[in-house]
Amino acid sequence: MLAFIQVLTSGIAIGCVYGLVALSFVLIYKATETVSFMQGDLLMLGAFAALALHLGLGWPLWLAAPVAVAAAGALGAALERLALRRAIGQPHLVAVLLTFGLGMMMRGGVASVPAAAQDTYRLPFAADTVAFGPLVLASSHLWVVGATFLLAGALAAFFHHTRTGRVLRACSEDARTAALLGWPVARMHTLAWGLGAAVAAVAGLLLAPVTFVHLNMGFIALKAFPAAVLGGLTSLPGALLGGVFLGVVEAVAGLVLPEGVKDMVPYALLLLALLLFPQGLGAGRAARTSV
Amino acid sequence: MDVRDVARAALPWALVALVAGLALGVDYALGKATLVLTYAIAGLGVVIVVGQAGQIALGQAALVALGAYTQAVLVRHGVPALLAVPAAVLAGALGGVLASLPARRLGGLYFGMSTLAFALIVEEGLARWESVTHGAAGMAVAAFGIFGWQATTTAAQALVSLAALLLALLACRRLLDLHHGRAWRAVRDDEAAAAACGISPAATKMQAFLVGGALSGLAGALYAHWIGFISPEQFGLVFSFELLMLAFIGGARRLAGAVWGALVIVAIPPTIALLRDLLPGEWARAAGLEMVAFGAVIVAVVLLRPAGLAGKD
Repeated sequence: MLAFIQVLTSGIAIGCVYGLVALSFVLIYKATETVSFMQGDLLMLGAFAALALHLGLGWPLWLAAPVAVAAAGALGAALERLALRRAIGQPHLVAVLLTFGLGMMMRGGVASVPAAAQDTYRLPFAADTVAFGPLVLASSHLWVVGATFLLAGALAAFFHHTRTGRVLRACSEDARTAALLGWPVARMHTLAWGLGAAVAAVAGLLLAPVTFVHLNMGFIALKAFPAAVLGGLTSLPGALLGGVFLGVVEAVAGLVLPEGVKDMVPYALLLLALLLFPQGLGAGRAARTSV
Repeated sequence: MDVRDVARAALPWALVALVAGLALGVDYALGKATLVLTYAIAGLGVVIVVGQAGQIALGQAALVALGAYTQAVLVRHGVPALLAVPAAVLAGALGGVLASLPARRLGGLYFGMSTLAFALIVEEGLARWESVTHGAAGMAVAAFGIFGWQATTTAAQALVSLAALLLALLACRRLLDLHHGRAWRAVRDDEAAAAACGISPAATKMQAFLVGGALSGLAGALYAHWIGFISPEQFGLVFSFELLMLAFIGGARRLAGAVWGALVIVAIPPTIALLRDLLPGEWARAAGLEMVAFGAVIVAVVLLRPAGLAGKD
């Protein structure tokens, strides 16, 4: 039973990371209708940026982490201005190829730094364990869950209680009407990419104590796609819940299924979900409310 | 198509072959030509699925992998290479049909995601099914042979690839002229309108994936022989995106686009390596630089020609 709870916690923790990446993907997709294939690379870049500031320049972690997240956000916004806005209104594949190319440049850029390409690093926080009586949990897992809760709360507050957040939602809901009402749709697109990149970077920082920082840590974003699809591709809470669900299912599958099957579970679930619920699990409700 | 059209289509290729042969040496040029021709066959599959039927296919490399592994396993168990090829084509086609099953109920991005999931499952499966595929360690593949004759020289390999590509091109041209091609284009342009005209979008998409998968399987079978060694990671996401880029560069709506795209895609890595050697200093030796350059080429192509997918028919 104790072992099961431990597996469950680690599943929830890794699921939070899937969920955050899925959330960043959905945030961008909903606001700009562009498909981002570089969220994993932004995640990796964010973690490495924090690492470089902390280990390279000697900044304290409480300063390096927010600066890295802000830098990732700025990068996302800048890329939107320079390149990504050209993909708006084009077929999905244009954005897919464009972001894949940009992601490749980020991965190659980090790989060009010898110190980054050769080693795996660990951000020096949350390396210990916490004991609740007989139950011992990795504190990194608790960190991830706690930080995800905080970030989700902050995002919900931003989207529902600030003017900018509401405008962003309006533009995501119906860009044409929002433009007719005089809202700055183009600026909201930039904001959406900036936010999406920043959320991905936060996911990278949270993942850092769990899987270490290395060049290929961005591949975890591939599991965010099933999470986003399970959530219906347009729902932010859905994406987060989808991620947690996948993390838990994957962890349990690791317990009961033979070695190696675990990694296929998210994709098998995605195929199954698409076959059984082609519009996402939350679609029934959305269809009812929109009528 | 009369003789003059054929001559007009073949002339630029004869020029490319001549220049490449003179500049790079005949053997090297033939080796690269084999690769271009094989990529072009797989690219034709993408042109059918993406350019003609208008679907997002993010896992085409997995279908190539199915063909390559079918060929490699059968040849290893003593099946003549020529007899193994139809089995590889069939494996690719079946994979395409399987990957397209979710298309029965949905379109667009969801479907693209399902092809991606299918590809990741196939890649993982090939790496795990060690008793047959030798897992991540990969397996060697013997030379391609017909009736005791073996295609060991680059010239013979290029010739076999050329024959396969011409056959594939002919078959695709026929399909596009038949009602299949018209149904694909109708579903691409407007699914609802196509359905209203009595064209079943689900069946049409499945046909496109069947043909695209069969072409990928054929390309995989040849690729396994030419490279001589296959492992699951060769057929990962990057290969899928290379094939997408190929169709994008060549113009996804024309069959000939696949061949031009293949030429560019195969030429990019050696060109990057060549340019890198010209750069001064140590930093140019960094491993990641080629990846940056390849990514930059993708970005540049997409930004300069965002209509690459919607070129003229």
